[in-house]
Amino acid sequence: MNLPRTCRFICFLTLISLACFPLQAQEPEKKEKQPLLSGVAVSADVVGFAMKAVGAKFANMEVGARINILDKFFPVAELGIGDCSRKGGETGNTFSTTSPYMRFGLDYNFNKKHNGNRIFGLIRYGFSSFKYDVGNETFTDPVYLITVPLNLNGEKATGQWLEFGVAVETKLWRFIRFGWSMRYKFRLSLKCPEEGNPYFIPGFGKNDSNGWGGTVNLIFDVGKGTFNFKKKDKS
Amino acid sequence: MKQRLFVILSGLLLLVACESYDCTLYNYVGCYAAFDVEGEKAKINDTLTITSGKNGPTLLNRSVATASLNLPLSYWQDEDTLVFTVEGKEYFIQDTVWITKTNQVHYESPDCPTTLFHTIQSVRNTNEFIKSITVIRSSVNYELTTNLQIHLFPDAD
Repeated sequence: MNLPRTCRFICFLTLISLACFPLQAQEPEKKEKQPLLSGVAVSADVVGFAMKAVGAKFANMEVGARINILDKFFPVAELGIGDCSRKGGETGNTFSTTSPYMRFGLDYNFNKKHNGNRIFGLIRYGFSSFKYDVGNETFTDPVYLITVPLNLNGEKATGQWLEFGVAVETKLWRFIRFGWSMRYKFRLSLKCPEEGNPYFIPGFGKNDSNGWGGTVNLIFDVGKGTFNFKKKDKS
Repeated sequence: MKQRLFVILSGLLLLVACESYDCTLYNYVGCYAAFDVEGEKAKINDTLTITSGKNGPTLLNRSVATASLNLPLSYWQDEDTLVFTVEGKEYFIQDTVWITKTNQVHYESPDCPTTLFHTIQSVRNTNEFIKSITVIRSSVNYELTTNLQIHLFPDAD
């Protein structure tokens, strides 16, 4: 999901509000030592699937898995499929790709209180080796007026990038959590044919040297305390 | 509860997505040429018309005091034939220039116009008023630098 220019303002406001929001403990602070392996979780970016379902021009549909170490360090792997099908309104140019991507990285939980809420700083390395098609059925030389359909199919490209960002998540019910992340992306490299750059890099978004992105995650987290049911008073 | 509400509502903000187009601002691909006579910059003072072949489109129409050219090359032809016609009060002379080239599609995005870049392989010409042509830069793309140096006979300007 790309958030260029004007929407960066909204993202900026969100960041500010996050920084200013007082994190109040819901429970009295407990100084309990967390086990080394505190849990595992799988997640899905609901926005990507929703965008695909409503027929958006592009969508990154991804799932992720992570390990909880000391409730502080969360090594993460994300695997997804980037899908883009786009036709320029005035030019008649088309672009399409459906290709996989992957990201690896780490989340660091800044919330020292183990109250179910987490505030992450995150870093990711992303990679995608993909094929794309570009074309234009009515591609016409404007001077010589010769029309030759343009069809460049199966163009191969490889993109790598880094992501830095913040994420928050909260416990909804037992092992179900909800959260979102906002990421600033730097493209490290892009290898593609000379005919032209791809419009979209799976996992990265619209092709540029940098950009904003985000996820809205539904998380299934199985860890310490997940199934701690409150004991009922017999008295 | 406040924190949960905050996380959920701010997550909804991320659903807002905007888009901007960053097309190349100057996207005309032309073959730039300049005239000289024995190494000195020159211009053709009489009326110059350039057409593609005998019956092709007019690329330059009745230009006067022409010191340089910016000519579109064909998208798909391997060789362009350009007919240079100079008209004076009492004369009418023509030279033909053949530009052999390769063509390469340049695609930016669905929203930006696609064009073709060219690589000039060779240039040859007849010798009525054009003495010879030197390829300065073979790549024809968005860059605004001279591709061809057209050497004129001393009395042609």
